[in-house]
Parts: sequence; C-alpha cells; structure tokens
Amino acid sequence: MADEALDVPAPPPPQQQPQRRGWGVAFARLRSLWKRWFLWLLLAVLVSALLVTVVWLAGRHEVEQVQAALERDTADAVVDLRSGLQRNAQSLRATLAPGMERTHWADRAAAQLREHREWLRLEWRDAQLQPIEAVNTPYRTRILEESNRGPAQADVAQACATARKAGAPAYSPSHYVPVAGGGGVEVMELCLPMDAGDYLVASYSLRDTLVELVGPTLTRGQEVAFTEADGTRLVALGTSRRIGTRVFTSQQRIDLPGASLMLRVDGWRAAPDLFPNMLTALVTAISIALVSVLVLLARDTRRRLRAERDLADALAFRKAMEDSVITGLRARDLQGRITYVNPAFCEMVGFTPEELMADSVEAPYWPTELAHEYHLRQTRRFAGGLPPREGFESVFMRKDGTRFPVLIFEAPLINAHKVQTGWMSAFIDVSEQRRVEELSRASQERLQASARLATVGEMASLLSHELTQPLAAIASYATGSLNLIGPEARGEQAEVAMAVKRIAEQADRAGQVIRSVHDFVRRRDRMREAVAPQALIDAVLPLVRLQARKLDVTIEIVCEERLPAVVCDRTLVEQVLLNLARNAMQAMDGADHAPGSRVLRLRVARALPVGATVPADGRRWLEFSVADLGCGISEEVAARLFTPFFTTRPDGMGLGLSLCRTVVEQHGGALMFEPNRPRGTVFRFTLPAAG
Amino acid sequence: MQPLIDGLIFIVDDDASVREALAWLLRSRRLASEHFGSAEAFEQYLDEAPLPDQPRCLLLDVRMPGMSGLVLFDRLAERGLLAEMPVIFLTGHADVPTAVEAVKRGAFDFCEKPFSDNALVDRIEQALGMSQRALEVQRVRRGLADRIAELTDRERDVMRLVVEGLPNKLIADQLAISVRTVEVHRARVFEKMEVKSAVELANRLRDL
Repeated sequence: MADEALDVPAPPPPQQQPQRRGWGVAFARLRSLWKRWFLWLLLAVLVSALLVTVVWLAGRHEVEQVQAALERDTADAVVDLRSGLQRNAQSLRATLAPGMERTHWADRAAAQLREHREWLRLEWRDAQLQPIEAVNTPYRTRILEESNRGPAQADVAQACATARKAGAPAYSPSHYVPVAGGGGVEVMELCLPMDAGDYLVASYSLRDTLVELVGPTLTRGQEVAFTEADGTRLVALGTSRRIGTRVFTSQQRIDLPGASLMLRVDGWRAAPDLFPNMLTALVTAISIALVSVLVLLARDTRRRLRAERDLADALAFRKAMEDSVITGLRARDLQGRITYVNPAFCEMVGFTPEELMADSVEAPYWPTELAHEYHLRQTRRFAGGLPPREGFESVFMRKDGTRFPVLIFEAPLINAHKVQTGWMSAFIDVSEQRRVEELSRASQERLQASARLATVGEMASLLSHELTQPLAAIASYATGSLNLIGPEARGEQAEVAMAVKRIAEQADRAGQVIRSVHDFVRRRDRMREAVAPQALIDAVLPLVRLQARKLDVTIEIVCEERLPAVVCDRTLVEQVLLNLARNAMQAMDGADHAPGSRVLRLRVARALPVGATVPADGRRWLEFSVADLGCGISEEVAARLFTPFFTTRPDGMGLGLSLCRTVVEQHGGALMFEPNRPRGTVFRFTLPAAG
Repeated sequence: MQPLIDGLIFIVDDDASVREALAWLLRSRRLASEHFGSAEAFEQYLDEAPLPDQPRCLLLDVRMPGMSGLVLFDRLAERGLLAEMPVIFLTGHADVPTAVEAVKRGAFDFCEKPFSDNALVDRIEQALGMSQRALEVQRVRRGLADRIAELTDRERDVMRLVVEGLPNKLIADQLAISVRTVEVHRARVFEKMEVKSAVELANRLRDL
C-alpha cells in the first residue's frame, strides 16, 4: 500500500511557471546580449558620428571656400565697376570739356559713344538743365525720347544738384525706360558738373554697363545682377545654363554719389557633393578601413572567445576526468619536485596537495625505511633510466603511517616544444587486490586442507572398512569355534578353546584400534550446520569456473526457489560438489567439441529420503545433482566406481568418488549415478534439510 | 552337529568371507542360514518363491555396491515384511549413525563389525522369536479368515449381529427370519469358528 502511495504521480506544476522562467531566461539572454554588444554598438555610433562630422565639416569648409571665392569675385567686380565708372567720368570730363564748338562736341561725343557701349546717350545741358547738345549711341535704335529729357526730369535734376553741390559727378537712381515694341532698359543717369555751370549728362544702360565693365571678369556658372537695396532685380547677366543645383550668393553694395545699387553674384555649383574633394574621400576611405578593421577585430575577438570557451570546456573536462579517476596521478619536474597531483593521489596517501608539493627532496609518502632506496630510484630515473612499461610495484606510506602497495606506471612528460620537462606517474592502490588475492588463496588453502583431511579420513574409513570385514570373519570363526568346543572342554580342547578365545579378543582389540583411529579422524562429524544450498554452490563456483574456462565448459545452475537449508559439514560437502564437478568436466574433456556440447549442470531440488518413493517420515531432503554431457560410464567401470583406489585417470588416486560417498552417507544421504540423456552421466546425492 | 533350531537366517553382505564366517558361527549355534552377495540377489530370491513357514531374520550389510542395505530395508518395509523378518544391520563403525537411523525406522537392531562374541547370535535368536510370534499371529489370523470364508452369507450376517451383542430375538427381527433359524445359524457359526460363546467369538474377531 505504501508503495502504491509512493507511485502516485506528483500534481503537475502550474503552467505559468515555465513561461515565467522562459521570460526570465529571455531577459537574461537579452541582458547578456546587451552586455556583449554594448561596447560594439557604442563604437559603431561614435565611428558613424565621426564620419558624419568629418564629412559635414569638409562640406562646410568647401562651401565656405566657394563662398569666399564668390565674395572675392564680387568685390573684384565692384572694384572694376567703380574704377570703370570713374574712368568713364574722367574721360568724359577730359574729352567733352565745355568751351568747344557745338559741332566739335557732337563729333567727340559720337566718338566717345562708339568707344563706350554702356552709354546710351550723352547730353550737354545748360545750368537750367536744358539740353544744348545730345548724341545717341550708334549701337541702338533711339530709346530715349528727346521730349522726355529736360529740366523736368526729377532724377536728373536731383543728380545734377548733388553733383553741383559736391563738385563731383553724381548719379541718379535707375529708372525703367520702355522700348517701343515691348521690353525696356534700365537706365541710370550720370551728371557731371562743368566749371561754366553747365552739365554733362550720360545715360548708362545698366545692362550694358554690366556687360562692358563687369562681364569680362565673370566666370562660368556665375550670374551677375544689379539689384536695388530691397533686392529687386534690375538687370542680370550670366549664363542661362546653370551647372548644378546649388546656388551660392554674394552681394555688395555700390555706393555711387547720388545713387546706391547692389551688385549680386550668384554662383551655381553641382550640389550636394558628398565627396567633393580629396579630404572627404580620404576620411571616408579611412573610416571604411577603420570599420573593416573593427569588423575583423570583432570577428577575431569572437573566435578568440570561442577558443577560450572551448579551452575552458576542455579544461573542465580534463579536470573532471582527473578528479573522477581512481588512479592517482603525479607529475614531477626534472629536479624531482612534485608539480601536480590529482585528488585520487591525495586521497590515496592522505596528504593535501600543498603538503605534497612542498619543496623537499624526499616525498612525504615514502616510508622512512625505504626512503633511501626510493631516492636512488629517482636519481636513476632522472639520469635517463626508462621505467618498465608494464609498471612496477612499490610501497607507499599514508599520512597515518600505514604502508600500502602501489603499482606505478611512469612516462616522460614532454611539453609543446618536444622537450622533456619531467615525469608523469600513475598509481594504482593494489592493497585491495592483494587482500582479495590473499583471501582467495586462503580459501583455496582451506579447501585443499579440507580435501587433505577428507582424504585422510577416507583412507581411515577405507582401512577400517577393509579391515573390519576380515576381522569380522575372524571374530565370527572364533566365536563359532568356541561355541562348538563348548564350555565343558577338557585338556587339549580347553587349550584350544583358550587360544581361540585369545584370537577373538585380539580381533576385538584390532577393532578397537580401528575405532579409535576412526574417532580421531571423524571428530569433525559433529560440525554440522545449516547452510543455504546456494551458498554451497557459490563456495565452489570460483574453482569450478577456473577449470571450466580452461576446458571451455558452460556452467548451468538450477536452484529451486525457497529451498530449505541443508544440515551438513559444509567443508566436506563443498568437497563433494567440487569433486563431482571436476569429474564431470574431465569427462567432457575428451568428447567432441561441438558448440553446446560441453555443459555442466548443477541442480538443487527437494527430494524424497533415500530409497523411498513416498515421503515416509517428516524429514525433508534436498537432492544435489551434477550432470555432464561427457562420454558416460561403461558397465565395467560402473561396477567398480566406488571401489577405493580405483581410477580411470593416470594421475588419479581413486579416492574421489569413494570419499564423496562416505561423506554423503555420513550425513545420512546417498550418492547415486545414472546415465544422462542424451549422453553423459548424472551424479546425485541427497542431504537432509534443516527443520 | 546337533539338529537345527527351527528358523532361517538370511545374510546379505558383499564380502563372501564375512558371509561364510557368519554362516559358520550361526551353524555353531544350530542356526540355519542362506546368504546372498547383494541386495538385488536377495530381492530376486524373495520374488521367486514364498518363504518357508518358519521364523526368519535378515542380517543386512549397510554398505554394498549397487543397492545399499538401507534401500533394501526401505523396500522390505514397504512390502510389510519387517514384522515376520526382523532386520539386523551389520555396520562398520563409520556407518553407525546410519544404522541408528534405520533402527528408528523399524529395524530390529544393528551390530557393529567386528562382532566378537555371541551377542549377535543372541540378538538373532530374539529376532527369530519375534518372527515366530509374528508368524503365529499371522497363522491365527489366516485360520480365522479361512473360517470366516467358510461361513455362508446368512451365517456371516448373524455373526456380525451376535458380536454386536444383540439377543436372538432382535437378530431375527432385523434379518426378518424366525428366532429358530437364528439359533440354528448361531450354532453353526460357533461350530465353524470353533468357539463356545459370543464373548470368545468377539475376542477372536478383534485379533483380525
């Protein structure tokens, strides 16, 4: 019942638990992943940031460069413009100085106009700004209407007033002059005050001004324009085809007396240029190289990690192996110092590793009386003497002083550079083995001794039997003779009667002697004990097996269940079993050797008492049988089988079976034999069971 | 030699000299004997012919090749011959425990070799006496059985009721015959059984 209760399966664990554990495992895995990859991630981020920064800086630097060049160009253009305008004004003043004939002036003015395409018209005006003379540019159709020009022109008047005040040329703000047929031009007036109080007015076409004064310095991909201060574009000049999409802009103010203009230069660039120059390319290349190296490094590190893990595994495996073996291991360097011991060795000798590895000439486990000899042996070993391959035996001392035998195997310790660094030794504690050997030898000796004793006993028994028969005959004859002579004999008959009486007495005495010898040998008859049948068989089995292996015999043991113990002299019955088993195996030795042809069957079963076919009394009996598949027993051999000193073997003494029968009969049992089926012989004997 | 005593001793021993010596010893005491070399031979002899009607005794060696003395003893015990043929075992010293065992199981006695004096013969004579008594009892029983066999069925019925102690009248009632007839049968039974009274008849029958 209790067992059943134990077998009831435990209630199944709640389902959440594995899941929770799963979460825990996942979390732990994440954490370890994070730990492992955190540094790498940080590195990657930093590298990317560096890369981006460098590229950005490089880009910005380039932009700044471009911008600066543009600013420079713009400034150059402004300077060009200014100097051009100034130069124009001076040449105007020089060539068209007043006081000339009007016709001359017109010619000179026309000449000037031919030289300067930027001018649309030159006018000579009086102090009231009334035009005295005017010449239009020959390059254009007439744009400016005569009618519109006069003192009424506010901007011209303004400019002239400014010029008069400053005594220097002044400009009017630009204004748009529509042209017949669509379109128009931006025009700016220059007023030059003359000494006589009159004025020279030159009309600049802003567009042509740009073309003439700024245009030559323009580079490809640039657009130059005049704008007003508020950014309104007045005129523009430049490429209609724009290279690139990115525009750089630079504008500078041109302060002219009386007027103010903005010069704006737009530079078009191909943008965005991620690798616009060598620096960026270099930085990128180096970065790529850096990342590649990092990746390689990472891979290498991973390989190293794996190798480390494998190494750790291998180390753990080796450690487990060293700890689990029962063989003691010890390594010594070439000076004889112990450099390594495994736990089995420590346990064997009872010292701790620290005690063993102490720097001493003599190992602590050397028995003091043998230390010198061991020292010599060690010296010899280090001098190059090779130990025997099959090992050698030695005696070691435990910490408590007890000695024990060990089997030692030694081998040179070779390091990775193929140099011997010491000796590795393996130790097997053979004391247990010795003890077992001792035990088995003792048991064999005991069996042999009992066999000897049994043989002596059997001899005595035989002698007594063989002698008692004739003695019995002698005694019978003597008694019969006395009976015949009768008690009333006289004379010679009385003498004869006396002699016959003596004969009877002597026969009786001989019987007594035999009896006493017998008693002496049979003293062990009383040594009966209850023994389990299996124990009897087990006791002889090792010796039987030994011979069985030699003769290639299979042993079968059949033991009925729950057999009672037998009451017997254990040693003698073991001897009987051993004798019968040996005989059986020898009977099979000569037979043909087909598989399964050599089977020795030992059997123990309940049995009836000797000779009975029904259980006559309350006593129980056991029958031991020993069956072989040998050559069997011929009739003439069978007739003499139990005769003492009869044997079929040249080396046999002929006492075995006779002894067996004596032993069995002493126990009250009987020894029988009969042919076995299909061949061979069965020997059976009975012994009383206990109870 | 003097005339023999009425009795026959069988000796079974594998040793011929012992057998002959024993036979000679017995003859010196006027006892006749037959001897056999093995248990099997004796068994065969028993099977061949009925034994003569005289006191007998068996001297049996314990240890013999082939069938041992003990086995033969057990077989004789099975056949119920032990009373009319007591068995005395002859043993060597070694076999004493076996012989003691045999005595417990019904053997008359055992005698340890070498037997020096007439003790064995005395025991044999006692055994013969016992055999004789047994044979006597057997003979009486056999006579009784013969007489009962001579009775008719009706006489046997009457005898059974007489032994039970019933008076003639009740016997007549039970058997549904007349008292006169019962008296006639009763007289015939007494005559055939050679008894004079019902008590004597009952005693005779108790022996059976």
